[in-house]
Amino acid sequence: MQPARPATQSMRLMAQETRAEHGPVPRSLGGHDVPPGYEMFADGQYLLRCASGYGYHYRPGCGIMIERPSSLCDPDEEYLWLNGSVYAAAACLNGLYPVHASAVEYAGRVFAFTGPSGAGKSTLVAALGQLGLPLFCDDTLLLDLTEPGAVMALPGHKRLKLTEHALALTGLMGEQPVGAETGKSYVAPPAGASAEPLPLAALVVLEQGPELRWAPVSGAQRLLVLDEDHHVQRLYTTALRPARAELFATRARIAAHVAMARLTRPHDAASFTAVTQLALDHILQSGTPA
Amino acid sequence: MTGSITKRPDQFSETAIDDEIVVMSLASGTFFSLAGTGRSIWQLLDRHSDRPVLLAELGREYGRDESAIATEFDEFVASLEQAGLVACS
Repeated sequence: MQPARPATQSMRLMAQETRAEHGPVPRSLGGHDVPPGYEMFADGQYLLRCASGYGYHYRPGCGIMIERPSSLCDPDEEYLWLNGSVYAAAACLNGLYPVHASAVEYAGRVFAFTGPSGAGKSTLVAALGQLGLPLFCDDTLLLDLTEPGAVMALPGHKRLKLTEHALALTGLMGEQPVGAETGKSYVAPPAGASAEPLPLAALVVLEQGPELRWAPVSGAQRLLVLDEDHHVQRLYTTALRPARAELFATRARIAAHVAMARLTRPHDAASFTAVTQLALDHILQSGTPA
Repeated sequence: MTGSITKRPDQFSETAIDDEIVVMSLASGTFFSLAGTGRSIWQLLDRHSDRPVLLAELGREYGRDESAIATEFDEFVASLEQAGLVACS
């Protein structure tokens, strides 16, 4: 159980804890060798050694040490690891709950879209940005559960990235490519980006299906939605090793406070405008103060 | 079914979400979603343990004769006992 702290304090904590410098990282953690291509949590620390030669070591209170490969460095790869797995690992070790989701802000609350890689999370939030909703985060949503009675979300730290297909769907222009081989480009959020923690209003699962459909998720099914987020959940449970009852209580709190739905849609260009409009309609409807 | 039914709070965690009570077995990690009469029985077990009293209260809540709900009640309690969530004696 984390002590109570305002979400703004969690933001400051993460800014402090993820300050990075360059230097050698250890080859082992907790007495266990960590070969290239592996990661490990031990002794409250995190060590990632990438196959490319990059290494990252996070130790609470000391920030992140980045070891560059002896051969050619790739700043894009360095950025992606640092702001992906390493940032999420540091967040977990500081008691934040990560969700694989992209999100927008409306009326002072956060509406997030989750699903596996390639589900269309970034594309949808980019399109909602074109309709005036500020980007809240892309790809990783961090939840702060330390404030009693609220599920607070921390604004994203990563730049919005879109595939060529997503650029074509939205009509947005890429600012610069993300590395040489990702096939993605960085994109400026059309309606800007949020900068302050806000309560999470809704979590929507993006699914592929023959017909466009928005189906609310209620009761125990909400716990299952949180359990579907395999990769990020593995990171969380590996980092903190919560007891079964503790993990249940954490998910139960999110499930009790956050509305959930499944947005099923055909994965084709012809449906894209209707999908975006349906998502917008539900956001406007649920985000309007009573 | 015998006379006394008691919850085993060291064997589960529970939470209320919408109209359901979700109970997780700490031993297996399995979820049980309780709604309707299942939810009512689970909540009655916080106040009573005697089977006749539980049946009478449930019958009163649903406007049914106790004999008409006894079989369904016993089957539900048996499933709770099998999951390790209650003890029957």
